[in-house]
Amino acid sequence: MDDAATETAALSRARWWALFGKGAFDALCFPAWMIALALFGVGSLARDVGHPIGAAMASTLFVWAGPAQVIFYGGLAANVPLPTIALAICLSSLRFLPMTMAFLPLLRGPTTTRFTELLAAHYISITVWTESLRRLPHMPRRERVPYYFGFANACIGLTTLSTGVGYLLVGAVPGPVAAGLLAVTPIFFTISLTAGARIPADWIALALGFLLEPIALVVLGPGFDLMGVGLVGGTIAFFVGGAIERRRA
Amino acid sequence: MSDLLMPYVLMIVVAFLPTEMWRSLAVYLSRGLNEGSQFIVWIRAVATALLTGVVAKLMLAPTGELALVPLWGRAGSILIAFAAFFILKRNVIGAVLAGEAVLIAAAYFSGAHFNF
Repeated sequence: MDDAATETAALSRARWWALFGKGAFDALCFPAWMIALALFGVGSLARDVGHPIGAAMASTLFVWAGPAQVIFYGGLAANVPLPTIALAICLSSLRFLPMTMAFLPLLRGPTTTRFTELLAAHYISITVWTESLRRLPHMPRRERVPYYFGFANACIGLTTLSTGVGYLLVGAVPGPVAAGLLAVTPIFFTISLTAGARIPADWIALALGFLLEPIALVVLGPGFDLMGVGLVGGTIAFFVGGAIERRRA
Repeated sequence: MSDLLMPYVLMIVVAFLPTEMWRSLAVYLSRGLNEGSQFIVWIRAVATALLTGVVAKLMLAPTGELALVPLWGRAGSILIAFAAFFILKRNVIGAVLAGEAVLIAAAYFSGAHFNF
């Protein structure tokens, strides 16, 4: 835990922006490109349903969730009723509840305002989440907020641009490369989660997610499968991981 | 005017709000929780299992061009990326490139009918 005095002492403006810049730089060194490539295809989906490029880019800025954007534009293309699309998006975005809850205590300091927390929560995506959980614990608490906002803004900014480029380049990408772009998300998530795993519970949860999903897809169906996998897999991982740590101690 | 705004209004109401509500709700539900508390360890395990579940789902029930890649290529790309991460001494970039190479090669050589 940080010393209470250092924790409440405000950062100078120059130091704040230096940390913001460091976060942005670290994101642009690699992780931001992963999510930018992953959402490249959203632009073409938006164009398919006749929406303007501004709406496609705004969807990345506001929704900031690849699967939700794919359901939205894919649903519109297939003439799915709007309430059905909204419900499907609501279920697919449920992951942000446990993700954001697990993340905020890392960021929150004694002077963090409710507004800062709501704003910080908006930037949560899988990439920002896994990378922040990996990077922030090693930093002094008061340096986390500027670093996080730099990192997250670089991710969302680059990805908003890539959504626009994807909109303009629709159809110009060869098939195997398009398949490769769709695979960026699962491959990068796997590696990012692996790199961030620290305690036994993390490793067990990681493995159980893979193992339980094929079963859940059949048993629970495509709407509630992930919720089931998260609750069952996460709870088993928590108890088994805890038992392993107690035995080691 | 309304035709011009419709794509934005739909995006906000149908996609943004159902997503953002969970992030905002978490701000209120996580108040007072400590970084090291057991509850947070549990929540993080739930989120992690859920996210690898997302990965499995994307690869088992793929959409678009990814569906044209055979299952061995999709599963192989994840396994090779995972192995490469440790072989390359925890190199994230190298691991992602290795997985992507497997996937694109599988797409290219599997004889799947892509539209060029």
